[in-house]
Amino acid sequence: MSEALIAARGLSISAGGTVILDDVSLAVHAREIVTLIGPNGSGKTTLLKALLGLQRAQGRITRRPGLKIGYVPQVFARDPSLPLTASGFLVLFAGLPEAEAALKRVEVAHTARRQLNALSGGELARVLLARAIAARPDLLVLDEPLAGVDVTGEAALYHLIAEIRDEMGCGVLLVSHDLHVVMAQANRVVCLNRHVCCEGDAASVVKDPAFRALFGARAAAELALYAHHHDHAHKPSGETVHGDG
Amino acid sequence: MDDFLWRAGLGAALLAAAAGPLGCFVLWRRMAYLGESVAHMGLLGASLGLLIGVDALLGTACLAVVAALVMARAKDRSIPAGNLIGIVGHMGLALGFVLLATMETVRADLLGYLFGDVLALSEANVFVIAAVSLGVLAATALLWRPLLRLAAAPEIAAAEGYNTALAETAFLVLVALLVAFGLKVVGALLIVALLIVPPAAARPFARSPEAMAVLAAILGALAAPFGLVAAYAADAPAGPAIVLAAGAIFALSAVSARLWRQFAGGA
Repeated sequence: MSEALIAARGLSISAGGTVILDDVSLAVHAREIVTLIGPNGSGKTTLLKALLGLQRAQGRITRRPGLKIGYVPQVFARDPSLPLTASGFLVLFAGLPEAEAALKRVEVAHTARRQLNALSGGELARVLLARAIAARPDLLVLDEPLAGVDVTGEAALYHLIAEIRDEMGCGVLLVSHDLHVVMAQANRVVCLNRHVCCEGDAASVVKDPAFRALFGARAAAELALYAHHHDHAHKPSGETVHGDG
Repeated sequence: MDDFLWRAGLGAALLAAAAGPLGCFVLWRRMAYLGESVAHMGLLGASLGLLIGVDALLGTACLAVVAALVMARAKDRSIPAGNLIGIVGHMGLALGFVLLATMETVRADLLGYLFGDVLALSEANVFVIAAVSLGVLAATALLWRPLLRLAAAPEIAAAEGYNTALAETAFLVLVALLVAFGLKVVGALLIVALLIVPPAAARPFARSPEAMAVLAAILGALAAPFGLVAAYAADAPAGPAIVLAAGAIFALSAVSARLWRQFAGGA
């Protein structure tokens, strides 16, 4: 495959004696959608932040020279004391024509003159995505971009992300909770639980009958993710137990 | 009116006009505590300046800038940054006060440093304050986009490769300079009011950050003459009167915004 847009080798992060990430390696290439999944506290957001240079980590991160990143954080705090329209927000990061085109592309052109503080959760999610694509990045990094989006909106937004990838030729690194949609859209799925548990082509993973069966039961969903690599298991603490299952 | 009133009015109005737009960022980023700590350290700077025989204003400005830059680096420590900044700032205030009090050879006006001495501004003082105020205004305008990115989406800006550290440093230096030169006008205890009250008064009437900044500058500059005239009429201290005038403008803004919403909502 071509040179990776961004690649991490052997990333480890500990905080106060707790291992948050343990020897994680990951690469994202152009035109590829890589989705990170894993339970709460598995280090998904921390991994993204380390890749973005927002958090210090041991290990090596290489970026393609001049790599342009578009980032949608997990949490975006709107400040009621700051009067800012959606268009005004985008213009801080891109030109006005690009900003308007991006809002139109993600189907929230009607929010351009509206205050960020007055947008619904779903509108905000789309405005944040518009902001991230307005400057035409090489790599989109999306940390659960679907917070505040209802179920039908969620599928549509995923579809939109895939379309944007096709149009712009960018790579996408995505954190998600919704496994159904992930399986339908992602090129490659990386299951993270402090370390990379398994990594696979979504199309082949989704064909696995055991995987599918387990997906039906909500409670077992997370376990299911680790079922197709039987080399280790996790205690409730997240600690790894090696063995045959 | 007397010359000293004109000097006081001009100095205070220019300072407040520069404080308005910069203060918007202080308000948006909820960093009033940092301004206060920097002002407290400024008092220590004034004391040190007097102690070693250089100009008090120079000492104030130097220590305020250094304090702001050091405090900004306090983020990654085990003590939460807000706590550390609070501790250091108050130590600066206390030490500055002790130093001033123990200097027998220097006659220093303690109340003047705490609450300002705007009526005692010399022509040279006004000139310096005007230059600093216009400089801060110009820098705020030039750095508008980086500063606003830092206020609206600091994490996104850092992740996407914008030099947020440089913007942060520039912002802190501007705040420190304004606070240091504002010490003479409204004093170490009240200077932050000029940074946050006019922007808060401007907020209900602004639909864009630019409009809020311009309105904050105008409202701040209006507070100066109102406060001075009131102080003159009531024989009250001028610095606190200017701050009270800004407070009155804020109250008026809050009430009229509320009435307007009710009127518009009911119509």
